[in-house]
This record gives sequence, C-alpha cells and structure tokens, in this order.
Amino acid sequence: MPSLRELQQRFAVALFADPGTAPAFAIAGAHRPAERIAIYRRTVFANYRNALGATYPVVQRLVGKPFFDAAVDAFVRAHPSRGGDLNVYGDAFGAFLAVYPPAGELPYLTDVARLEWAIDEANRAADATRSPDIVLGTLAIAPPERLPALRMRLEPSCRLVASEFPVLRIWQVNQAGYDGDDGVSLDDGPDHLLVRRDANGVALQRIAAADFAWLAALSARATLALAIDKAQGVAEAFDLGAALHAYIGNGTIAAVVDQG
Amino acid sequence: MAARSALPAAAGIGLRAPHLRQVQTERPRVAWFEVHSENFFAEGGPAPAALDRIRNDYPLSLHGVGMSLGSTDPLDREHLEKLRRLIVRTEPAVVSEHLCWSSVGGRHLNDLLPLPYTEEALVHVVSRVAEVQEALGRELAVENVSSYLAFAEATIPEWEFVAAVARRTGCKLLLDVNNIHVNATNHGFSAETYLEAIAPDAVVEIHLAGFDASGPCLIDTHGARVAPAVWELYRVAIARFGPRPTLIEWDVDIPAFEVLEEEAATAQSILVASHALAA
Repeated sequence: MPSLRELQQRFAVALFADPGTAPAFAIAGAHRPAERIAIYRRTVFANYRNALGATYPVVQRLVGKPFFDAAVDAFVRAHPSRGGDLNVYGDAFGAFLAVYPPAGELPYLTDVARLEWAIDEANRAADATRSPDIVLGTLAIAPPERLPALRMRLEPSCRLVASEFPVLRIWQVNQAGYDGDDGVSLDDGPDHLLVRRDANGVALQRIAAADFAWLAALSARATLALAIDKAQGVAEAFDLGAALHAYIGNGTIAAVVDQG
Repeated sequence: MAARSALPAAAGIGLRAPHLRQVQTERPRVAWFEVHSENFFAEGGPAPAALDRIRNDYPLSLHGVGMSLGSTDPLDREHLEKLRRLIVRTEPAVVSEHLCWSSVGGRHLNDLLPLPYTEEALVHVVSRVAEVQEALGRELAVENVSSYLAFAEATIPEWEFVAAVARRTGCKLLLDVNNIHVNATNHGFSAETYLEAIAPDAVVEIHLAGFDASGPCLIDTHGARVAPAVWELYRVAIARFGPRPTLIEWDVDIPAFEVLEEEAATAQSILVASHALAA
C-alpha cells in the first residue's frame, strides 16, 4: 500500500499531467478517475490565474484574458509556487514573459510586469517610521570627512524600475476608468521610475536617469561616494545637494548610516 | 480594540477584498468577521491597517488557507511565524486551518487537497496539529474540507477521522456544514451520521457557503447562496451542537455586501429560533 507521501506525490503529478491521463493512485468508486483529478486541476489553475490577474491587471489587459491565462498556466509549470501565501507568488512572471515565445511581439510586456510587481511589493512593504527632519539632522551632524563613506537606507516601500519603453504611460492609459487619449509611442522611452507608497497609496514618479542610478546604488548599500560615481557616470552634472534635499525631503531616503 | 473574547453565537460574514472599504466606512451591523489570514501577512500598508480598524469594531476569526497542515513536507516555519505575528497583532477569537494538504516535495499546489483517511494520515495530522498549536501557543480549530475523490486506501470514515483529530490533539473543530453536504452527496454517506460522530464541545465555529451542481459531482465553489438542503442540515447541526458562531463564506463572483447580509440574516434567524427552543 502506498504511503501518505507517495499518495501526495502521485496526486501532485496527476494535477500537472495532460488532461485525460488517469492518476497513478486508486480512486474509490469513481467511474472516470481522470474526471475527478480534472476538477482539482481546474481549481488549481484557476487559483493561479486569479492570483496573478490581481497582481498583473495591466499585463492581462494588454494581452487579453485567454492569452494571459495560457501564459499563467505555462508560468506555473516553469516556476512552481513554493509557499502557502498566493499573495506573494509570481515575482518571476516578468522575467518569464521575456522568454515566453508567444509574447515575443510585445517587447515591453516584461517591463510592464516588473512595474506591476514593484507596485504590489510597495503595497505590502513595512510602514515608514522616520521623518525627513530626523534624517536631515543625522546628515547635518556627520563630520565632513565621513560623508563619502556614509550609506543610506531607502524607505521600505521604495522600488526602482527602469525600462527602455515608456512603461509609465503604458501603465497609466491601461488603468480601469482611464478615458483620455490612449495612444502610446514606444519611442517615448526610456523611463526611470521610483515606485513608493505614501499616505495616499502607491505613487509612480518619473525621475532623472542620474537620480535613478544614484538611488539604485544607495539601495544596493553602496557608499555615498560610490553612488555619486554611478550618478555622474550617467550625467556629469549630477547635483548631489539637490538630490539629497529632494529624496530626503520626500521620505525616499529613510536613514543615514555611518558604519565608521 | 475589544478584548479577546469568544465569538458570539451569531451569524458572521467572511470579509473579502471587495468589501473592505465599505465595511470600514459604513460599519454595518455584523456580529463578527472572519478573514483569510494570508491576506494580512503584509508587514505594512493598507491591508494590515484596514484589519486593525475592523478589529477595533468587531470580533475576529482568522482562517488560514495555506499552512498545508496534512502535508508530508516539513511545516513552513516562516509561514507559521507570520501567522503568529498576525495573531499577536489582532488577538483573534478563533484561529483555524483546513484538514487537508497543499504541498509536497517543496512544491505548493495552493489548493485544499484531500487526505487519504488512513491510520498513517491520522497519526501524521495529529502530530502536525500538535506542532502548530505548540508553535502558535494557542488552540487551533481545524476545518473539514470538501472533496471530489476518495482514496481507495482509505480505511476510516471521514467523520471518524475528523472526530479523532479533535479527540487526540485537543484542538477544536470548525465544522463546514456545506462541505459535509457536498461530501455526503459526492461519496454517498449520511450527513446526519457525520454530525452524530462530532462531539458538540469541540465545535467552535460553523461555515456555510454555496456549491455548484452543474458538473459530475458537487463542487464547493463558495460562489452561490447556501443551498436549501444545506440550510436543512444546518438546522440539524444547531439542534445537536447548540447555537454556534456561524459564518457566511463567498469567494468567487462575490456579490454586493447586502447579499451576504441577507444570507447571514437567514443563519441568524435559525440561531435565534434554537435559542428560543433552549430557553
């Protein structure tokens, strides 16, 4: 007699087998065992379609539901869920779309998905705790010779999304209830976006490429000196004072860390 | 926040995302709410903040869908820790999970899959429930699930399995009366026999929902009103167990909140009638 573990393994295999395949375990009293497994298969895949549809509404709108559902089904097979909380499943969907052949004609789809995942993460991130005044105060009392070695922590909901396509515009014109001009020129990229949550919800802000490079470096725990290098690599005229003022002032930078 | 207290023996509503805002602003007269625990695992943001506000006004039951209690994989400690933190934050009256499995070999199927009702599975589930109760530092209520197949290996009737889990672990039961009806129909057993096997003291909560009857067997969709036969079985259950906190669940094609209130009112009228009989 198969063990509990063997039965669970065979059940899982049957769920992902081709429709019509009889399961490799015995079902009591059912005339058509494959039909019973098919009920579970439908429910399981519907769960994933619904969950990813909630996370990726713009992708779904861009490709239509039949295409989206087929993409989700293929994604689930390529990147199985590893946890019991469907709210946090699907981070790799954007990367998957980049190599999913049917999506080949929509090169911006991957970046739209990455943006939607960033929005989803921003929505779930820990609440910000520090006020700009405290951060500015820490910076003000730092000895000048220590400044290059300082590191900065971004507020927990901050996500940075860059794309060669105008993904912000694509995202905006595909929001439910949007009734303006929905034309998008793919030549209007690139976009450098700061995604973060404030008291009014998640906001998307287009920022300068140099600011983006600077924040991306800081977010990867680079020192201030290295982050400035990255920013100047993008734009020689990067203005550190203005950037500090802007991103501490709006709460993006949540802490200054001097690791001595 | 109202102190942690038992759920009232009245009708509550399963609160889902489409109604979160309405409930916060209108504060409808509902005896208590239940939410899916995982939907509030976020560290911050609008979801936990909304739950905090709701908890200020209503007793709360936390209902998990993702612990994979009956899996032969190790328990997911991170998942348990998130649940533990949510319990500390919201002080729910009841914490429940399903008597099912959802994962094997590290792969999650994210569905409530049926167990083979064998002595091996019973011993396994008993140890898992004990492990979860230990990790959470509190009593768990386990819920009977609907099923569309029965394993040929099964040696124990479902009702005896469910009753034995409660008896051997000291855990409580969340009895889903709709699931009993669905399984009784799908597998050809007597729903009344099922109810008679369950110790009244173990039942801390009852679930009611709608099923779909258009396929080869009844499917527990949570996408319709409670069926007349299930209301009948609910009356039998209340007569046996006494009035119990009773939840209306609706998870797909979620209707206007008022429809859920109507269903809750029907449950409430049955509870009130049983109170009157007992008096």
